[in-house]
Amino acid sequence: MSDLVLTRHQGAPGLTALAGYEQVGGYRSLRRAIEMGPEAIAAEVKASGLRGRGGAAFPTATKWSFLPKDSFPRYLCVNADESEPGCFKDRVLMEEYPHQLLEGVLIAAFALQVNHAFIYIRGEYRSQRELLERAVQEARQAGYGGPNVLGSGWDCELMVHGGAGAYICGEETALLDSLEGRRGQPRLKPPFPAVKGLYGQPTVVNNVETLSNLPFIVAEGGARYAALGTEASPGTRLFCVSGHVERPGTFEVPMGKTTFRDLLEMAGGVWRGRQFKAMQPGGGSMQILGPQHLDLPLDFKAVADAGSSLGAGALVIMDDSTCLVNVAMRLVDFYRHESCGKCVPCREGTYFESELMHRLEAGLATKAELTNLADICANMDGRCFCPLGDTATWFVMSAYRMFPEEFESHCGAGRCPVREPLAVAV
Amino acid sequence: MAETAAAELVTVSVDDRMVQVAPGTLVWDACEKAGVFVPVYCAHKKLEPVAVCRMCLVEVEGVPKLQPACATRVAPNMVIRTATEQVRKFRDGNLEFLLVNHPLDCPVCDRGGECDLQDFTQRYGPGRSRTSITEKVHFDKAIPLSDKIYLDQERCILCWRCVRYYEEITGEREIVLQERGVHTVVDTFERRPLQSQFQGNLPEICPVGALTHAKYRFRARPWDLRRTASVCSHCSFGCNIFVDAREDQVARYASNDNPEVDDSWLCDRGRYSFPEMNRSGRVSTPEARVGGVRQPVSHREAIERACGGLLRVRSEYGPEAMGVIGSARLTNEEAFALQWLARDVIRTKNLDHRLGKLDKLAPEDFALSIAEIEECDAVVVLGEKPEAAAPVLTLRLFKAEQKRRRKVSRVAVDSDPASLAGQLPANGRIGVVVHQQDVAVARKLRAELTTSTRQVQVLSILDQVNERGCQDLGLLPEWLPGYRPAPAGGMGTREMLQAATSGKLRALVLIDPWAELEAEPGFREAVANVDLAVVLAAWPGVATSEADVILPGRTLVEKAGTVTNTEGRVQRIRPGVEPKLAFPPDLRSIVELGRGMGGDFGSQPLAGPVFKRLAESVPAYSGTQGGLRAIWRAGI
Ligand SMILES: Cc1cc2nc3c(=O)[nH]c(=O)nc-3n(C[C@H](O)[C@H](O)[C@H](O)COP(=O)(O)O)c2cc1C
Ligand code: SF4
Ligand code: SF4
Ligand code: FES
Repeated sequence: MSDLVLTRHQGAPGLTALAGYEQVGGYRSLRRAIEMGPEAIAAEVKASGLRGRGGAAFPTATKWSFLPKDSFPRYLCVNADESEPGCFKDRVLMEEYPHQLLEGVLIAAFALQVNHAFIYIRGEYRSQRELLERAVQEARQAGYGGPNVLGSGWDCELMVHGGAGAYICGEETALLDSLEGRRGQPRLKPPFPAVKGLYGQPTVVNNVETLSNLPFIVAEGGARYAALGTEASPGTRLFCVSGHVERPGTFEVPMGKTTFRDLLEMAGGVWRGRQFKAMQPGGGSMQILGPQHLDLPLDFKAVADAGSSLGAGALVIMDDSTCLVNVAMRLVDFYRHESCGKCVPCREGTYFESELMHRLEAGLATKAELTNLADICANMDGRCFCPLGDTATWFVMSAYRMFPEEFESHCGAGRCPVREPLAVAV
Repeated sequence: MAETAAAELVTVSVDDRMVQVAPGTLVWDACEKAGVFVPVYCAHKKLEPVAVCRMCLVEVEGVPKLQPACATRVAPNMVIRTATEQVRKFRDGNLEFLLVNHPLDCPVCDRGGECDLQDFTQRYGPGRSRTSITEKVHFDKAIPLSDKIYLDQERCILCWRCVRYYEEITGEREIVLQERGVHTVVDTFERRPLQSQFQGNLPEICPVGALTHAKYRFRARPWDLRRTASVCSHCSFGCNIFVDAREDQVARYASNDNPEVDDSWLCDRGRYSFPEMNRSGRVSTPEARVGGVRQPVSHREAIERACGGLLRVRSEYGPEAMGVIGSARLTNEEAFALQWLARDVIRTKNLDHRLGKLDKLAPEDFALSIAEIEECDAVVVLGEKPEAAAPVLTLRLFKAEQKRRRKVSRVAVDSDPASLAGQLPANGRIGVVVHQQDVAVARKLRAELTTSTRQVQVLSILDQVNERGCQDLGLLPEWLPGYRPAPAGGMGTREMLQAATSGKLRALVLIDPWAELEAEPGFREAVANVDLAVVLAAWPGVATSEADVILPGRTLVEKAGTVTNTEGRVQRIRPGVEPKLAFPPDLRSIVELGRGMGGDFGSQPLAGPVFKRLAESVPAYSGTQGGLRAIWRAGI
């Protein structure tokens, strides 16, 4: 038996269609789950040690247990908004294994005694959305979804809802507002969605990858899933490797036992024979790591101790031709563009930050402005309404701390000294 | 609401001061209780917390991040710190953020001097600019959102108060957030004009100069204004206001929160009625007929001539040939003095303050208070008249419905009680809101809906500011003060006018003749036909043009005294502006007319002593002076 979970059927013919998925044993886990009953499913998920793959790595079984016992209806929302810079794993799971996702959604819905599950998919994922909608139709026709699922007397409607192109709608409460037809902005917490979520009812929001693990966990048992990784970081995980590598792509690897260097090698190493300079381990929001961190295992604690996070599972590699001020500037522009505008430190802070980054990148900023930049970031971090504004400072500040000379050399240089060195010797 | 028992309170410390508050209290309120000021922009006492401006972030011991005081609830033994280095630094930084794209031209902003952005920047704020960004993000300025409100998007700090006001208080959702990030603005959808009747509350809740009143902007600075707490004179609801006056003109009315009445909101009809009070061309000098020709005289002479004339008419034709007509805009003290003048001095039964006849009255017609609407399990509003007469009632009904989850039904006046009964809860408290004209319907409904488990209470809505007080104090042919029956045979307003035209009535005293009265067919003929017409008025009109004696009158913003709102709440009005001309207050003029005819009023003609006398003879009014309700018991 392979050590893969999410991609274990890779290469099987016709997987995107129901028949192909059934060929590899698809929807047997759903049948089994219904026989097991909600409590037994939750127990297996607990045993699996599964932690959310949306970025915050919250233990899935614990999140489920927050639902108040007797409050119905409840809803399940699938977070398919995938918009983190460098992140494209949910896309792969939806494009190649749509029925695996739907089976996972149905298992979760049954475990949570939900009759309506919503898949909120990123607006730009047009073809993926159509594909999912077709898969939902197929599953419904085959009796896996809709009324009286597999004769169990339990009804479950699946609905696919497309976003309109806002990163913030991946934040779970903004997602709920958007789904309800409101302006996509995070909600004040508490109450948390588990208590008061979609339409004011108890709601669980889970990421696509999180839920795609469930068919395996139900089929093979939570203990077996957990054992694929280490005790602290159980199971496997899908990593998107991109940036300056030869073969960017998604790779499923066991957690805890794999290192960043392993991932880099799977992606063919740093491209064009260049040297590794730095990486972002968890997508655009996470702090920079350097060459000294390449041999760290993909373990929550190890990465946290190094001052960063695995975030949404996106590894962006930067080679030695990269100007980190330039990278930081472009990331800050992203946050400025995506700030929902709700709170002051993010709305005005990202603007302030980005204007200064543009001056710095062009070599126009003074040293004092660089100091101001750090201070402005300090006034944003931890002060914003939601993590978007906080994280808008993390890459910049961590890169500045790790490569202070690179930032300082821009001050008053009149140009980018990294990408346009003064003495050009070819 | 009952005070939470001391045992249930939690103790928290704010900057080392211990306070006890109810569980669930917001940190912001706990700080206030401890006497510690926390700056806020988005928070507002009447709106749900959103925690978007971050201005109120404070330290809570044991919590790593600063917490929004406006949205965080206290926990037992919570230690709150509002003045630490961390908090101070962030406040400076947040103000810097707010100013990054804010115009720095307070001198040309209408809100200068009463702007929270200006104030907090003075109070906290980094004190110096360090921004090297040369270009701000620009937005539209001076957008007329309606004929009442202007919006300056560049001055908006996006506190959402206006948006939430429309969601939570009126339910009309006329202002929305558009775009996102640094381009976010508030605006109306497709710039459609605002249509709400409650727009004037917007500039008041806006913490900066983004929303301004068309009728006030650029007319005054706050330090030019003199502020006086009073009551809106536009309808019977009795919303509490501040009269903000600049010299001898009313510059604006502002709301003055009374949770029992207005809950801090005013309607536009009332709020923007103030220019009426500034109208020029006032009656400025007393006049009297001297040798058949009317001419300016001293106030004393006018009173003497009026009294002499009145005594002559009485000795010639008897008191029943005389009539007194007041108005529903008189204060309680004036109304009380006027009924003394009519009944005790002139000794006539012909006394009124309204055009139409009043139906039989019962204490049950006034049982429900405005605030109690929220406590009713269900509320029935009969027809459109109550809300048309008192617009702020609509907001109270919305609050009952939205915040308190009460059932509010608006039904036709002629709805069948039997079918209504089926739609209402079988148990609990039912409120019926009715215009006084339809009070008979409410009585019938009350009789049919009341069961052993269902209590039905009526709130009658009147029209004029002190209609209720004038009724209570017997400015009516049928009732003496306190609804004691008057001797039969007194004439009401219309009967008096007919009698004057036919020659039966020979003298009329008109105190504050109002527009509808003057527009009444035959009014001019009636006034012209009597031997003696004594008129007290603030502005000239039909009555003054035909009068034999004219006494200058005051407007309601120039008077001191009390008025009684539709639910019976006795509230003080205070002079917000001094009349430009020196003449005695109306109360004094009325009392002097009586004294000049030999009457003994038994008190100084000042609002305070007169109220005391009034409360002695009308027991329901005793103890009400602090803004309480006069409660009527059976026996009316
Ligand atoms: C700004 C922001 C963007 C986010 N975007 C996503 C996203 O695109 N997809 C996702 O699954 N979670 C995203 N999250 C995390 C979600 O809020 C939430 O934690 C997650 O969907 C929970 O699912 P999980 O427990 O299965 O990880 C985002 C969070 C923030 C603060
Ligand atoms: S930090 Fe504030 S402005 Fe930024 S996305 Fe979150 S709520 Fe919106
Ligand atoms: S217009 Fe005023 S009230 Fe409305 S969001 Fe802007 S600052 Fe707040
Ligand atoms: S007042 Fe608390 S965040 Fe605005």
